[in-house]
Amino acid sequence: MSDVAVRVDHVSKSFRMYHERNQTLKSAIMRGRTSVHEDFWALQDVSFDVPEGSTFGLIGSNGSGKSTLLKCLAKIYHPNKGTITHYGKLAAMLEVGSGFHHELSGRENIYLNGSILGMSRKEIDRKFDDIVGFSGVEQFIDQPVKNYSSGMYVRLGFSVAINVDPDILVVDEVLAVGDAEFQKKCFDKFAEFKRSGKTVILVSHSMDSVRAMCDHAAWLNKGTLKAVGEATPTIAAYEASLDN
Amino acid sequence: MNYLKEMLASRELLINLTMREVKGKYKRTVFGQLWSLANPLALMLIYTFVFAFIIRIELPPGDPSGLNVFAIWLLCGLLPWIFFANVLNSGVTSLVSNAGLIQKVAFSRVVLPLSQVASAAYNWLFEIAVLVVVLSILGAFVLPWLPLVVVAMALLAVFASGLALMLSIANVYFRDTQWFLSIILQLGMYLSPVIYPVTMVADASEGVGGIWGTPVTILDLYHLNPMVHFLDVFRSLLYDNRWPDPTAWLVCIAWAVGALVVGLWVFRRNEKNLAEAL
Repeated sequence: MSDVAVRVDHVSKSFRMYHERNQTLKSAIMRGRTSVHEDFWALQDVSFDVPEGSTFGLIGSNGSGKSTLLKCLAKIYHPNKGTITHYGKLAAMLEVGSGFHHELSGRENIYLNGSILGMSRKEIDRKFDDIVGFSGVEQFIDQPVKNYSSGMYVRLGFSVAINVDPDILVVDEVLAVGDAEFQKKCFDKFAEFKRSGKTVILVSHSMDSVRAMCDHAAWLNKGTLKAVGEATPTIAAYEASLDN
Repeated sequence: MNYLKEMLASRELLINLTMREVKGKYKRTVFGQLWSLANPLALMLIYTFVFAFIIRIELPPGDPSGLNVFAIWLLCGLLPWIFFANVLNSGVTSLVSNAGLIQKVAFSRVVLPLSQVASAAYNWLFEIAVLVVVLSILGAFVLPWLPLVVVAMALLAVFASGLALMLSIANVYFRDTQWFLSIILQLGMYLSPVIYPVTMVADASEGVGGIWGTPVTILDLYHLNPMVHFLDVFRSLLYDNRWPDPTAWLVCIAWAVGALVVGLWVFRRNEKNLAEAL
């Protein structure tokens, strides 16, 4: 339990804020430059360890850098400074149904989406029944996904993602998909993850779900780390700051 | 080296994305894969009408195949050209049109342009297979040359991949790239020996001689276009049924390797910033 699953080490990330951006050749030539920008630091020198087997919540107000950090964890963004090291297979779930093709059937999309998320064909073959069973769209699995209801669509996407079966799962606020029954299924799945000693990192605005699920948390404010540690005191500190 | 390993690891993704393109493309059409033939056939009809019937381009018969059919000669160059143009046209937008995916999932980005190459190649294989059948019916002894045709196709695919990698990155920063490209490809088709033989350029060039007193002729400049050499190889193999000029092979290999190396270098340098730049 005391081992580290993810180590975030002095991570800083800046974005360019463009006052002028010339994305067409004409404007670039006319203005004699491609852009005028200043650096905006979305994350500044953030360091913390995520203990193995924990469910770790990232909390903070809008614009605090939560999502940026999540994307850095998911290796979509690359930090300007510092490093993120993870021990074990990491999978990120920032969106469900990434890369679904509307004209293709649910079955074909499971294979497509699974391979985008890094699963091999054999792995998907093995988990296929689980994925379909979890999503609850058995009946429509050979229909094109454009005929799915939006609920079925996200359920299928979620089922593929949850079956990637990583050691560390990084989740954005995609928990709120589907109806109450499916949400309960998702929560159970996360609990099962936790029981099998896996690490979950999640970002959420809902303090209730963070409180219910997380044992550790980190509070970010305007790109800097305010507090990190056990969930209860961290959430309390964040909520106290909101009251002021 | 690591990069190669990473690409090898994503080959299943490449296959799946390619199949997404291939299956999605002609879905819900009555003629399905036959649509892939429609565009080349329509062009063949109109070019044959204009250039063989009205303008009457003089064409030496295939040596040693003995073929003398303008429409077939045209297709032997037109199919590779259409493949090349399709790869560039779909490759250039491959990153921009998958912006959502790039911003949400970490995966090897290089599969996006490469899946466009692979899906265009799939259609191209189908077209060339039909052409080979037609050539055989007309009496060309093309079957022994098929392995070399496949090699030439692979070389052109590598060349086109290299360019597509560069263009897809350029299009992220300058969206003009895709519009420029469509104009350049239109001009490029007339600057390549697709609808007329190189011998006509050679004749015209001889009449002019060196440009501005230099020994450089128009033909020399014309040969700077890599497609001149690729089309030469394809026509020699398919239409003439003879061993292509070795220098043409060498020039094609050089262009293919060069384009791929530069393309991968450019792509690798920029791929980490894609999620932000899009």
